[in-house]
Amino acid sequence: MDSDSEEMSSNSIKLLAGNSHPELAELVSKRLGIPLSKVGVYQYSNKETSVTIGESIRDEDVYIIQTGYGEDEINDFLMELLILIHACKTASVRRITAVIPNFPYARQDKKDKSRAPITAKLVANLLQTAGCDNVLTMDLHASQIQGFFNIPVNNLYAEPSVLHYIRTKTDLDNAILVSPDAGGAKRVASLADKLDLNFALIHKERQKANEVSRMVLVGDVTGKSCLLIDDMADTCGTLAKACDTLLEHGAKEVIAIVTHGIFSGAAKEKLGNSKLARIVCTNTVPVEMDLPIIDQIDISPTLAEAIRRLHNGESISYLFTHAPSA
Amino acid sequence: MSNNIVVFGGDSHPELVAKICENLDIKASQVELGKFSNGEISISVRESVREKDVYVIQSGCGQVNDAFMQLLILISACKSSSASRVTAVMPYFCYSRQPDIPYTAKGAPVINQPGRNSATTQRPGEDSSFKSLNSAIKNTISLERKGATADAERVQAPSLTASKSLSRIPMIPGSKLQNSHTNGDAEDLFNAQNAGYKLWVVQAGTLIANLLTTAGADHVITMDLHDRQYPGFFDIPVDNLYCKPLSQNYIQHNIPDYEDAVIVSPDAGGAKRATAIADALELSFALIHKERRSQLLKGPPDATLTSGGALPVSQRPLVSAPASSGRDVRRSSSSSSLGSLASTESRFVQTTMLVGDVRNKVCIVVDDLVDTSYTITRAARLLKEQGATKVIALITHGLFSGDALDRIAASEIDKLVVANTVPQDETVKALGKDRVDIIDVSRVFGEAIRRIHNGESISMLFEHGY
Repeated sequence: MDSDSEEMSSNSIKLLAGNSHPELAELVSKRLGIPLSKVGVYQYSNKETSVTIGESIRDEDVYIIQTGYGEDEINDFLMELLILIHACKTASVRRITAVIPNFPYARQDKKDKSRAPITAKLVANLLQTAGCDNVLTMDLHASQIQGFFNIPVNNLYAEPSVLHYIRTKTDLDNAILVSPDAGGAKRVASLADKLDLNFALIHKERQKANEVSRMVLVGDVTGKSCLLIDDMADTCGTLAKACDTLLEHGAKEVIAIVTHGIFSGAAKEKLGNSKLARIVCTNTVPVEMDLPIIDQIDISPTLAEAIRRLHNGESISYLFTHAPSA
Repeated sequence: MSNNIVVFGGDSHPELVAKICENLDIKASQVELGKFSNGEISISVRESVREKDVYVIQSGCGQVNDAFMQLLILISACKSSSASRVTAVMPYFCYSRQPDIPYTAKGAPVINQPGRNSATTQRPGEDSSFKSLNSAIKNTISLERKGATADAERVQAPSLTASKSLSRIPMIPGSKLQNSHTNGDAEDLFNAQNAGYKLWVVQAGTLIANLLTTAGADHVITMDLHDRQYPGFFDIPVDNLYCKPLSQNYIQHNIPDYEDAVIVSPDAGGAKRATAIADALELSFALIHKERRSQLLKGPPDATLTSGGALPVSQRPLVSAPASSGRDVRRSSSSSSLGSLASTESRFVQTTMLVGDVRNKVCIVVDDLVDTSYTITRAARLLKEQGATKVIALITHGLFSGDALDRIAASEIDKLVVANTVPQDETVKALGKDRVDIIDVSRVFGEAIRRIHNGESISMLFEHGY
């Protein structure tokens, strides 16, 4: 009798994945020891997205792993995610959690010009309309985006994993942390406190989006190994210029560490021509370049642990300060 | 026109936007459409929309998901800039056809094509070599072409052996099965692994309707929705315009001796649409029926047929084609264990039969939507085989994805008449000016916008069109 009733009420984790980042989905799946569910996400020849469900997910706790990236596919991936969520909704699952390591359109989060769309808010609404119950993401560009949702948003931090990387793979004694812009000062200050390091700040005067004009360094970096910290590297114009500025001011070497390595547009050339000793990013998005200076931090243990904790109703906040060992 | 109306065009069909605005005697409003380098859509609305009646025109063609997202963002931008009402004008409504069976001839085939098993299982980045997106895309396109050709050959060569026909289910990257699969249905594939659970295809209709409403659309105008039930998915008014008056008009004015012509529906689903035109013009009617039988047919099909006969089309269901992988199999799935495919000998025979007499007649094949063009080209061949003198295809939405245009160019279709709900420049280029006639729907849309803006009745448009 007991076992029967248990069987009736039990539900388990189901992992679904779109096409945006199969490697990450595989890593999370391995870490949790739960295979990915039989779900097919295809594109018809007329470019419409089609989803097929090949196994029962009724009354299960579903996690859909889909990250936001892709110069040509970002909207395809978003539609895949929405249709997958809708599919789960129509398949009567118990709870749907969208696992979006890199939240798409996160930078379009404010009406900075007249009639500018707040697309991040639109994406939040679309996810909820599709039927999402819960969002798991990482290093949101602005944490206020959580306020765009009427459902719980668990914003994980890559910081514990980054701290671990800095402690184990850089020359800590001679290091200084640098924020490439004023907006990132808080992020860098937090890291500097935890590592007991000094930090410097670069102030940039920006004229157009993705274009940087002049850089002013605040702080002394002479002879130091500089760790440039940012939440994302997109066209890498900022990073390359910041690196030049730091070297001009006598830095010994410059290592860039970012959470989301999007590397769009001319990023490859810019990084290839830059004097960066290393560029480190997490695997929230797939890296499609093979530059020798690129190093990756695997954040799948954090995602997997967050999924496990969400499923079991345990606290997530432990993960804000601790990285599960790889 | 009152100065309270604002019309924005997305970038999917600028020509139609210009024509609609011309009909309304206004200028399309200024909006900058672009993309950031990371692929995100950027939109900058250049004119005030405060308290205006806004119409956003976007057809669901080209890169459908990009076009649809652009529409959503544009609607949302207008709504959050205090527009009094936002109407989404979607001449062709994307995701309006909801195939319910995976990979049958009814649903458009997935782009995964035969012949790229090796290339496809690797996504850029998986092998550590960097491929520029451009080259990857070119690669995809060329492979797609190759694949489509193979498909076309298969259609033309019905006796193709089963060994060459493989499942269209893309293989999973890294799976060992990529070379071991043989022919098999999508259903066979899944069910072999998961007995008792029937694979199903997600119906996105309600989702698309809800997304539009969420973005802020107050009203939708579209044309010839594939499903008559589709407007029921919305909680906002949907005006479904009809191309039928225009089609009838075309038949009456451009087809000599149209009184002797036969209206043909290329499949049972379109019978209602075709009979409506046949009734209105008092023409005779014929129907092409596709049938999948579970065993080989012996002798002629149903005796009730007035003409025609069984046309064995393929040993396998037509859409099941060699599996693939590749850059597209990034379009693959999260399933990690699709398992080996059951090698099934031909269990189905697909027959195409004609109900009705077309001998020595001009045939007008009427359909609302042509995508891959398999159905319509097959219909044309059958009609010619049955003695039709001329085959005219009359279509509302000509999507012509993949290799459809090449297939039509090589087909028995003598004339293609298609509405401009999606851009038809490529069609004219591929088939030549003489073989294509375009029905201009901009006047209907312009008039619908004018009437909705002024609060006049739309139903009159249904009757008379233009």
